[in-house]
Amino acid sequence: MPASRSTRIVLFVYGLLVIGLLYLPLVSVGFASVSRARYLSFPIKKYSSKWYAEALASGTVRDLLWTSLSVAVIVTILSVIIAFFGALAFARYEWRYRTTFQKLILLPIFFPQTVLGLALLMWFNSLGVIPSWKTAVVAHLVWIAPIATLIVAIRAYSFDPALEEAARDMGASTPTILKEITLPLLMPGLISAGLFAFLLSWGNFPLSLFATGADSTLPEWLYAKMVSGYSPLVPTLGIMSVVASLFLILAAFAIAWLVQTIRDSKAAQ
Amino acid sequence: MVSSDPILRLEGVVKKFGAFTALHGVDLEIREGEFFTIVGPSGSGKSTMIRLLVGMDEVTDGAIWLRDQRIEAMPANLRPTCMVFQSLALFPHMSVGQNIEFPLKLRKVASSARKERALELLDLLRLPRDYYDKRISQCSGGEKQRVALARALAFDPEILFFDEPLSALDYRLRKTLEKELKNLHQRTGKTFVYITHSLEEAMVMSDRIAIMKAGHFEQIAVADEIYGRPVSRFVAEFMGEVNLFEVTSRDGTTLESPCLTVKSGTTNESLPAGGNGLLMVRPEFIRFCGEDESPDYRIKGRLLEEYALGSRIQYEVETETGQILTVEKLRQDRASSGDIGSEVMLGFDAARTHLIKDT
Amino acid sequence: MQQLNQKLGYLSALPMLAVFAIALFAPLVVVVLFSIMPSKVFSLANMPDFSAYSVFFSQGYYKSLIWSLGMALASTVILLVISWPLAYGMAKVFRKFTLVLTIAVVMSLFVSENIRLFGWVLTLMKGGLIEGHIRAWTGVGFDSPLYGVPIIIFGLVYVYLPFMLFPLAQGISMVPDDARQAAADLGATRWQIFRQIDVPLAAPGIVVGCLLSFVLAAGAVAESKILGGQAVITITDDIETAFTFGQDWPLGSSLSVILIVIIGTLALFGISRVDLDQIMGRKR
Repeated sequence: MPASRSTRIVLFVYGLLVIGLLYLPLVSVGFASVSRARYLSFPIKKYSSKWYAEALASGTVRDLLWTSLSVAVIVTILSVIIAFFGALAFARYEWRYRTTFQKLILLPIFFPQTVLGLALLMWFNSLGVIPSWKTAVVAHLVWIAPIATLIVAIRAYSFDPALEEAARDMGASTPTILKEITLPLLMPGLISAGLFAFLLSWGNFPLSLFATGADSTLPEWLYAKMVSGYSPLVPTLGIMSVVASLFLILAAFAIAWLVQTIRDSKAAQ
Repeated sequence: MVSSDPILRLEGVVKKFGAFTALHGVDLEIREGEFFTIVGPSGSGKSTMIRLLVGMDEVTDGAIWLRDQRIEAMPANLRPTCMVFQSLALFPHMSVGQNIEFPLKLRKVASSARKERALELLDLLRLPRDYYDKRISQCSGGEKQRVALARALAFDPEILFFDEPLSALDYRLRKTLEKELKNLHQRTGKTFVYITHSLEEAMVMSDRIAIMKAGHFEQIAVADEIYGRPVSRFVAEFMGEVNLFEVTSRDGTTLESPCLTVKSGTTNESLPAGGNGLLMVRPEFIRFCGEDESPDYRIKGRLLEEYALGSRIQYEVETETGQILTVEKLRQDRASSGDIGSEVMLGFDAARTHLIKDT
Repeated sequence: MQQLNQKLGYLSALPMLAVFAIALFAPLVVVVLFSIMPSKVFSLANMPDFSAYSVFFSQGYYKSLIWSLGMALASTVILLVISWPLAYGMAKVFRKFTLVLTIAVVMSLFVSENIRLFGWVLTLMKGGLIEGHIRAWTGVGFDSPLYGVPIIIFGLVYVYLPFMLFPLAQGISMVPDDARQAAADLGATRWQIFRQIDVPLAAPGIVVGCLLSFVLAAGAVAESKILGGQAVITITDDIETAFTFGQDWPLGSSLSVILIVIIGTLALFGISRVDLDQIMGRKR
């Protein structure tokens, strides 16, 4: 039953409206970041890039970015490794507790992150571990690795298990199968899982809030300034963080496009 | 080329999945160099069978011998056999050449020797040599079949297994590839073990056919034997249309059914007194008789329906006792029948009948 | 092969399970243990007295819980209503636009939730993007809708939209077109098709979507803090305060346990009802 033309148009407009509303707050933040005034009010009278200059020159900002980046990179690498194997246990191998494992994977996603962060704080405290950006990695991992696993699992579901059986039939051992067949076939899933892991870690604050101790990530600092003691750097850093994410996404798409183009031209020769 | 020595031997192979028994103590001998086909409807256990033979599942009980070596506990990657999968299982991230070379690469064969062998195999399967660099996604259905075959042959297996590799193809391509497979079998001299649900496919290619039903073999024989001398109703009905008369032998000398009485001994075999059986006549051996003809047996009936099957015409005839018989004629012999609803006389000869005992 | 599959299954689940053991289960045990400790201790080496749980009722913490659950319920219902047409469009109507929508919605997830909420403050505050411009053009201003319960629910709807939208779209895409066509052919009205075909067949997606939005909203805190100006206190806010300003870990823990039990029961109930293999498109 194909939708009528009018339904199509109404839904399309509705979709555009939702996208518009999703990004409207970022428009405000964007304007705010280039307003010269220390105390913001619309319409903006004078535009200036001085907050960006200040942010780039600030040592605090550099520390914040460095902490956020370190956490995100390590979380990404670990998540992708865990997700590769986790997805095979989730989607591929027929083992006894597979369905239990599937349900377990969803648990951290349902868990209130603030509570999880606090629970981790108490746990680290009981162990005598002083929270720092390293403990934040652990906190992020328990939430992000399952999401990465789900993303890779979708990919793992879509390929034919007979491919691995065929390789085994022709004499390949389990490590050879993983390296020659499974890994290359899951690669697109692993790349998008890595992208998700990085971006989710980069933007996360409820877990970082309690797990980083004396170190502070960018979202944490922004939150602190929003709730108490506004700084004109808040919109600026917010936009910088968004732009960094956007840049990464575009880079990923560009690389994917490039690889595809090179492959196609090779095949065409 | 077929020798009489078995290359593969199964002794009392049992396979259970939980409470369900998929194979009930199966015995089987496959001879060196033969084209052996296992046929059965879905759920008959043929897929379970091939997974056990290639080592992708473990037997619950029994033994599998490859020549004089017991292999039932040997994992798939150590067995010198190879399978062409139903889905073909071509690696989508590798080129045609890389797919064919895969088993050689696993054995650390030098890349120049690998390529040489891959090109030879492309020749053998009548694929152009420039397919070497093609991607799998650029190949047609038939080309993929040939690549999968080439890859399996590159493995150089003792036995080549096939798990319904043609089932997804359209009719014409399937017919072509059936003949090519038979031809390839003759050229390579390898032992082929083929699984299918289509007896027609099996008949075209095989030296011997095994009919499988509910986890055991119903009959293992050459194609003519399966077609002309089935051992049970199941086998008789598996291949196309068949007419079966339920007969009883009252005194050991005649076989009686409601519409037909046959003297024992005029058929190939006979029943003891009080025994039951099925008398089989294939539809193409029944003819419409004129007054002047004198077949061994005659049955009066009424023509119910006529169906055009292309080169043949099929008729349904109801006998006076209510049994529906199927008759097939070549299209050029069509004129011999009457109009729908008219009375007809059917006839067939004793030599064309076959008796199935103990139904 | 089955044995090999068993072995590989256990082995490949191991890294994930190790992370869970040290970063999910162990902390949970610690929370449960702390929740039965006497007030304001920072060590587990005390006699348990369960006193923190009685405070839940005597000091009115149950009100925060009711607020949290109530607002979560309201936002879930609103989300279901506003996401359905869009999810339907994504699954059945749009072609390329589905991809555009998916990318746009996913990308919004990567922007820290507090930046986006802060953006709403800038948009909606007096002298913000909307009011400021309207006043500049017309000379008439209006009061900011910020700092109240409706705006908190709006914030929840805004933040958790993707968690309703994607499962719903996935669920609706599992409704076969020919089933809808057949129903229409048999004379079903649009409403009957919706009730008899769409809803039952898309049920797994609906369950997952509602569950995710409700559970996440019930544990939310930033919306009430940033948009609501703490017009109402949510349970998570109470938990946070107990740990930070209150310095009362047993109290924070007992409140956490209560929230976890409620959310956990719901989550387990919902998850056990859906077949993940089916939703995620398993072959074979």
